[in-house]
Amino acid sequence: MFDIVIRNGLVVDGEGGPGVLADLAIQDGRIAAIGQNLGEGKQTLDATGRVVAPGFIDPHTHFDAQLLWDGQARPALEHGVTSVIPGNCSLSLAPLKIADRATVVGMFQQIEEMPPEAFTEKFAKWTWEDFAGYCAAIEPDLAINVAPLVGHSLIRLWVMGAESQQRAATADEIVAMQALLRQCLRDRAIGLSTSFVDVDANGRPVPSRFAEFAELDALCQVLGEEGGKMLQVVPEFYDADITIARIDQLADFSLKHGIPTTFSPVFDSHATPKAAPRILDRVAEQFARGARVWPQMQTRPIDISFSMLNPSLFLARLPRWVRVLRQPLEQRIAALNDPATRASMIADCGPDGGEAMFGRLVVRGGDRAPEAYVGRRLGDIARERGEGAAEAAIKISCENGLDVAFLAANGGHDDTGRIGPMLANPLVHIGASDGGAHLASFSTYGDTGYLFSEFVRASGDFTLEQAVKKITADTADIWGIKDRGRLKPGLAADVVVFDADTIARLEERPVHDVPGNGLRYIRSATGVDAVLVNGAVVYADGAYTDARPGAICN
Amino acid sequence: MSADGAVVRTAEAIAREAIIVGAELAAAHDGQAELVVSIRYPNGVVGHVLLDADAGYALMRSCEIDDLGGLAGQSWRKILEGVKTCSTS
Repeated sequence: MFDIVIRNGLVVDGEGGPGVLADLAIQDGRIAAIGQNLGEGKQTLDATGRVVAPGFIDPHTHFDAQLLWDGQARPALEHGVTSVIPGNCSLSLAPLKIADRATVVGMFQQIEEMPPEAFTEKFAKWTWEDFAGYCAAIEPDLAINVAPLVGHSLIRLWVMGAESQQRAATADEIVAMQALLRQCLRDRAIGLSTSFVDVDANGRPVPSRFAEFAELDALCQVLGEEGGKMLQVVPEFYDADITIARIDQLADFSLKHGIPTTFSPVFDSHATPKAAPRILDRVAEQFARGARVWPQMQTRPIDISFSMLNPSLFLARLPRWVRVLRQPLEQRIAALNDPATRASMIADCGPDGGEAMFGRLVVRGGDRAPEAYVGRRLGDIARERGEGAAEAAIKISCENGLDVAFLAANGGHDDTGRIGPMLANPLVHIGASDGGAHLASFSTYGDTGYLFSEFVRASGDFTLEQAVKKITADTADIWGIKDRGRLKPGLAADVVVFDADTIARLEERPVHDVPGNGLRYIRSATGVDAVLVNGAVVYADGAYTDARPGAICN
Repeated sequence: MSADGAVVRTAEAIAREAIIVGAELAAAHDGQAELVVSIRYPNGVVGHVLLDADAGYALMRSCEIDDLGGLAGQSWRKILEGVKTCSTS
């Protein structure tokens, strides 16, 4: 008798071929058989009318800290994500000497927007210094699989201390970094991440940005010697020309050391419409040379968020608003409360009272946003209040100390007609979700559901099977994860059962579930019936289970 | 150089400078609005510079404008002036 049998589902195995109606049997955490009329199981899941697919793999996350208090990486798991890769952008939580913890916590607070309490309340388990110790600290409570990268900034900080943010490394220090990286890889790191962009809590470049070419080359040599491990990079993504120069550099590393490389983010912008296509053209040229330089592109559009507390360029097209919002806070509040100034600002928005520009905004949060307004369109709220949309935006802000955040959905990377074909490009790696980061700015969950709702069902850029392949087998192959990403007998039983007609991400909402009562924005899933990790049900019928079958994998 | 030591640029030198030809708002990776400033170089190539809110507003201050439309025709040096103000404020 099998442990679990999933019956009568459309089995989409991750390789891109047509789905097949079949049962799938699981034994001892692995896929035991796929076929018709398989024998009995101790547990049976009915998948009639549902898709049975490999668990999705998210290659770009920052769950490093969250995994210490939440081994389910909520809400990633309920979206069907069964494996995550944290440690991106040069930042991991190991190897890390006790003396340097505050430095790295500052970097995480800057990037992940976590309150300091999250680190003081929940880091009682912070027992490790080395990479093996970090893996040992998180592994017992994992419900999701984790394939962690080791961060270049951490490697540098360990070897050079405070000088890692001041200067280039000496030859001896580079040798020490090579030895440390080698040890991390042997302690199950899946690769190395580095960044040419990120800053710490004080606005200083993170340690990896002080590395000279020779240092990165030497570290890539170790990645090659240890079996061709991944190099993940954040290039100067705001400039297409520099990004293209980095692509060439990564290609040279890839060819010289026999390693895969990946960079992120790549996103489409109406303001620079040639940028993403140029970047992808260069990627194609480098693949033609034999290099592996995988660009990561997110599926979700970028939403713009702003409040009147911190002036945003979102309002920069309105001259009278510019004059008011660039004033120091005290004068700004006074101006916004002045009826004559308000009237002139509203007049600036045109004859519709700002309905076109402000009516579509959503009140999304902020520490003082009225709960009754959160998640609702400003246009609807304004009508309730008997005000125009722009007037309501000003008054609601003033009534709440300006600490009310507004969201303009689909501000960028939102042209499905352009993005669909880019995502479908076989050289584009779907990723860059940033799961577990940007906590107080926007939700980084549900990109997989959006792939199906927008690019399978709405636009048809992908078939169901192609979409599944893109976020399962393709991801596993790119990263060298040999045991996952496909439904084949003998492989780990990471499985998601979902409704192809409804799988999607739900509306964004604020929650205060970060230790220290910290705010984050999340999106729950819909259309996902069950999620299994290593043969155990971790999510079913809308609820998480107590199972903790996750593992460190690489 | 003028009598008081200030650098004086000739009309010809100014004509050889890069000029701002436009600016658009866009969504940045981090969910903030950013300003994409288009600059035309003397050889005709148009490139882009991305500015965050602080730098964008500083540029507008430096150009003494409160309307993005007023950026067109300004020297690229205004971006430097704005960023310098912004980084020292």
